[in-house]
Amino acid sequence: MPEIIIDGRRLKCEEGETVLDVCKRNRIEVPTLCYHEAIESWGGCRLCMVEISHPKWPGWSNWVTACLYPVQDGLVVGTNTTRVRRLRATVLDLLLARCPNSSVIQKLAAEYGVEDTNYEPRLDGDNCILCGLCVRVCDEVIGVTAIGTANRGASKEISEPLKEPPVDCIGCAACAYVCPTDVIQVIQTPDYRVIWDRTFDMYKCVECGISHITVEQKDWLIAKDNLPADYYDLCDICKRKHTAEKQKELSML
Amino acid sequence: MTLTVESVNSRIDEICADYPVDEASLIEILHDISSEYNFLPADALRRVSERLDVPIARVYGVATFYKGFSLTPRGKTIIRVCKGTACHVRGGDRNLDELQRILGIGAGETSEDLEYTLEVVNCVGACAMAPVVVENETYHRNATPTDMKRMITGEGSDEDEGGDE
Ligand code: FES
Ligand code: FES
Repeated sequence: MPEIIIDGRRLKCEEGETVLDVCKRNRIEVPTLCYHEAIESWGGCRLCMVEISHPKWPGWSNWVTACLYPVQDGLVVGTNTTRVRRLRATVLDLLLARCPNSSVIQKLAAEYGVEDTNYEPRLDGDNCILCGLCVRVCDEVIGVTAIGTANRGASKEISEPLKEPPVDCIGCAACAYVCPTDVIQVIQTPDYRVIWDRTFDMYKCVECGISHITVEQKDWLIAKDNLPADYYDLCDICKRKHTAEKQKELSML
Repeated sequence: MTLTVESVNSRIDEICADYPVDEASLIEILHDISSEYNFLPADALRRVSERLDVPIARVYGVATFYKGFSLTPRGKTIIRVCKGTACHVRGGDRNLDELQRILGIGAGETSEDLEYTLEVVNCVGACAMAPVVVENETYHRNATPTDMKRMITGEGSDEDEGGDE
């Protein structure tokens, strides 16, 4: 089993883990913006940069993204060195220029001593930092790929296909959930949910009447996972109640 | 040219028939559509998405990723003025100015009669011929504003095409 040293602590790790995995498990704080444990790492935001060196390669050191870098026995990692902090400050300075109004970015930047951006702030933009989590969760986890990126370079953006309400969207709102800067708007009422300019009817629990899933989402999940048609008729709470009751009945037999 | 959904769909079906039903065929199909219509009509993208069973979000992402594709109609003749480093240094801007003046359209625009589209590109990989202006498939080397005028109005001949420095 490989062992690595993070900020002076010798830590055991699993083969194939990333430096970030080890940090998380040991509660060593590394800031991230484009990472989510349910989604494959992408290494886009560059905020999780750490400094690495290795006793076997004297004189060598490097900066890598913790979310992508695989552990190697003997690796020495610094998560909060002066150089790392300087790098992150630069990244946050750039992000602040892109999203000067995002409170999430403002707060993070301030932690690294950046109060005002040194670059030209983009005053008319939204708070999207292009981390791509929304697109990736929709594609990788939900499996519908309703939204994507459009253009590239400086004009790259997250976009509905053809700039129209996305036809493949099932209204699950996973994209809004993972968005680190809360860009994706969701309007939720007991009867419907509005997201990406589309309105989705909610499916209600037959027992308590609480709406727990959109109709499209229910149909999608039933088809995808080959579930019985009534699988989502009960919400999680009522389902648990039912199971408990059944167990009680069984135990009394 | 009016594009009905039916006509687009049947043309796209023909194009798609030449390729395996696979996401890997996407770019080549988009190329074919682009040479057919000079741009990528939205209905064509929808149809390709259906035919290849690739989500429209991904088709749209690819279609907008490359500068070579356009989602808005383009002219019969596409003029690309290179403003890469070499062409810029050797006066590519003057050619652009002249073309804008003659055609009455700006960079990135298409003339109303759909005859011309004017584009600015960064390096077409022909720096030794700088400044370069590409007219459809024809490369005009060491281009001058006079050449530009001749190219559009057809006045004079193009004999110095490929001429030396
Ligand atoms: S979290 Fe590692 S690069 Fe964004
Ligand atoms: S800069 Fe124009 S061809 Fe390279």
